[in-house]
Amino acid sequence: MTNPEESNGIGGRPEAPPLPEMPLDVTKSHVAAEFKHEVALTTCRIDPTGRYAFAGAEDFNVYRWEIDGAAESKTIFKGHNSWVRCVDFSPNGELLFTAGYDDHIGIWNTADAEPKPIAMIEAHKGWVRWVRVSPDGKLLASCGNDNLIKVWNLPDGTLLREFAGHERYPYAVVFHPDGKRLASFDLMGVLREWDLESGKQLRSLEAKFMWGFDQKFRADMGGARDMCFSDDGKTLAVAGLTEVTNAFAGVHKPMILLVDWDKAEPQHKFKVDSYKGMAWGVRFHPDGFVMGVGAPQSGNKGAVWFWKPGEEKAFHTVTLTHCGRGLDLTPDCRRFAVAQFDGSLRVYQMTDKAS
Amino acid sequence: MRRDIGCNRMDHAVSRRSFLGASAAGSAVVGGLLTAAQAEQVRSGQKRILQIFLQGGVSQFESWDPKPGTRLGGPFRSISTAVPGMEICELLPHTAQRMDKLSIVRSINLKTNSHRVGQLRMEKGRIAGEYPYVGSVGAKYFTPPDARLPGFIHISTRGITDNTNAFLPAQHAQLKLEGVKAPSNLVRSDKLSEEAAKRRDEFRRRLSERFSASRPGQKAYTEAFESSFTLADRLISQKSLFEAEPSAKDVERYGSHPFGLRCILARELLMNGGTCVKVTHHGYDTHAENFNFHLEQLGEFDHTFCMLLDDLADAGMLESTLVLVHSEFGRTPKINQRYGRDHWGASCSMAMGGCGIVPGAIVGATNKEGTAVSEREVASGHLFHTYFSALGLDTASDHDIPGKSIPIGDPAAAPIEELLA
Repeated sequence: MTNPEESNGIGGRPEAPPLPEMPLDVTKSHVAAEFKHEVALTTCRIDPTGRYAFAGAEDFNVYRWEIDGAAESKTIFKGHNSWVRCVDFSPNGELLFTAGYDDHIGIWNTADAEPKPIAMIEAHKGWVRWVRVSPDGKLLASCGNDNLIKVWNLPDGTLLREFAGHERYPYAVVFHPDGKRLASFDLMGVLREWDLESGKQLRSLEAKFMWGFDQKFRADMGGARDMCFSDDGKTLAVAGLTEVTNAFAGVHKPMILLVDWDKAEPQHKFKVDSYKGMAWGVRFHPDGFVMGVGAPQSGNKGAVWFWKPGEEKAFHTVTLTHCGRGLDLTPDCRRFAVAQFDGSLRVYQMTDKAS
Repeated sequence: MRRDIGCNRMDHAVSRRSFLGASAAGSAVVGGLLTAAQAEQVRSGQKRILQIFLQGGVSQFESWDPKPGTRLGGPFRSISTAVPGMEICELLPHTAQRMDKLSIVRSINLKTNSHRVGQLRMEKGRIAGEYPYVGSVGAKYFTPPDARLPGFIHISTRGITDNTNAFLPAQHAQLKLEGVKAPSNLVRSDKLSEEAAKRRDEFRRRLSERFSASRPGQKAYTEAFESSFTLADRLISQKSLFEAEPSAKDVERYGSHPFGLRCILARELLMNGGTCVKVTHHGYDTHAENFNFHLEQLGEFDHTFCMLLDDLADAGMLESTLVLVHSEFGRTPKINQRYGRDHWGASCSMAMGGCGIVPGAIVGATNKEGTAVSEREVASGHLFHTYFSALGLDTASDHDIPGKSIPIGDPAAAPIEELLA
């Protein structure tokens, strides 16, 4: 591998852009921008500066658009030899990290006009399913099909630590906001907490309701499709599925699980009883609600749901034109981006159109 | 109209190729590690079929016909194999190292997306109609008269109970084993004394003889009836095969999962007089999460299948055992919204090797995105002809059924000659 250049600083968060005047109202959510790609998207993220939206696709590449720019702002990040289903950024937004199903982690300059990987780290034996940067930007966590959680030094990309313990594929790993712990979630619905300093597992929690064994096909179905901590670190949100009745036909219900992290116990389970499918993304909004994006088992109508903690039913739903496959918020938390199966990346504004 | 009037006896149906093959197998060097029964099995020159059925429709993209980097190719890469220039999906790393023992057909068009129709076409080598399955045909023509086991044994935990023998005598129907369990009612009830059982058998034989004498044209009925008792007697004599626990070493090599245990049993059956053994590996009907499920399913298949292939090769039995790996169809090039692939019979693949098959060959091709066959299109009829031609059967001849003219292979198809050794 080649090391990232020293000049690629990974310092603190940039200043957020000034907030618009209009009050936030999710019931007024509308499409503010739409970008098209010819292949199904696999994920999306918005960089910490709020300038760019990134998406992985079913064509081995990652794509970048300027959120407030034209469709022509589309820029290709070519370097992986398989799909990318997870990306993350350094806190200042200067570096992009990509998790490839080609066993590699890619490191890129986020804003390059003609992007080329600064480094491609051979990270796992089998898919790299997830990457996340630590809050201070000094570490990168990954998980893969070798059942390992790995932590890498940044910016040089050297391996710092390995965590073994998951017996089946870990689907996602995230840093706790305190920067000292990691949480990872596997195919079987097992959630583990790891201590970065000692390299040991601290706790494990079984969320078996987010896993199912299909007796007919003898197959396990489960795993996190997205995962994030609330800013205060008290709650972990996991997006995935529940109530698997036919794994191979994708007959199950979407679920967003909130975990009380101090107590290590489920705090709330958001699901939509009338909806069969998968939850592919989750975010905490600073106004106190939780957002999730889903794809149906059949039909086109993806959805973005808005829940208030403690309430069973979503207080609002945005119906998508196609299946949602990823969700992220802009830094000002007034807009969200959704990656769709039809190859479009849509940016919604959660205010009245007049704004 | 009969194709070989006055000549439908078994000794004519088995061709010169079969005879030469049998002679060659009979003189094979037998490894020192073989048991006496296995050594006898090799010396006997018996032809066998090992059929691995990947139920549900394995994806050709994720197995024998990868299209990495193409629009519909999915996330997996291709890897090189033991055969220069041949690449298969990275999900089959162990099989890749053994492709010098196997060949691939990449240009199968089954013209159906139905599980049931696809399965019947792959088994019967016919578009439609009541014809026997591969295993039943194999049982009919390759089971020795003194065989210690039924000619066609299928190890599977579920599936439809088919009329696998069609018009062939009932003793060639599949004996379906529910996993690695012995057939039920294999042992005489304690309530029935040995003496009483003997008297009962004698009474039954006398009734059958009387029934046959009174209906001279309907001998098949009593033959079918009697054959079931003959099969039962054979099974009882071999019940130790089902009762023995696999060794720890075998379990370590094959895996402790159901498919691993079934393949250990398949090996034991083949090495102890079995003629046609079919093992079903369930779980390829991946309408959702095709890639995650193929990771799991083919990971299980790849290693286990290779252990079985190695053991047959080490025992010197690969030269006399036809190995087939197939599904009822493939999966769609299009990746659906659930990361799944749906049913697709228009351009699918299979692998075969062993007895009479040229190793390391690739027959046919699909186009760049795998949406259609582009070279050497074949149907199930061609495959069926190829299997039995490789075993030495003249598939253009009629079945050995007195009074009937039924060609063994579909007259509209022919063997894939480039696959025949």
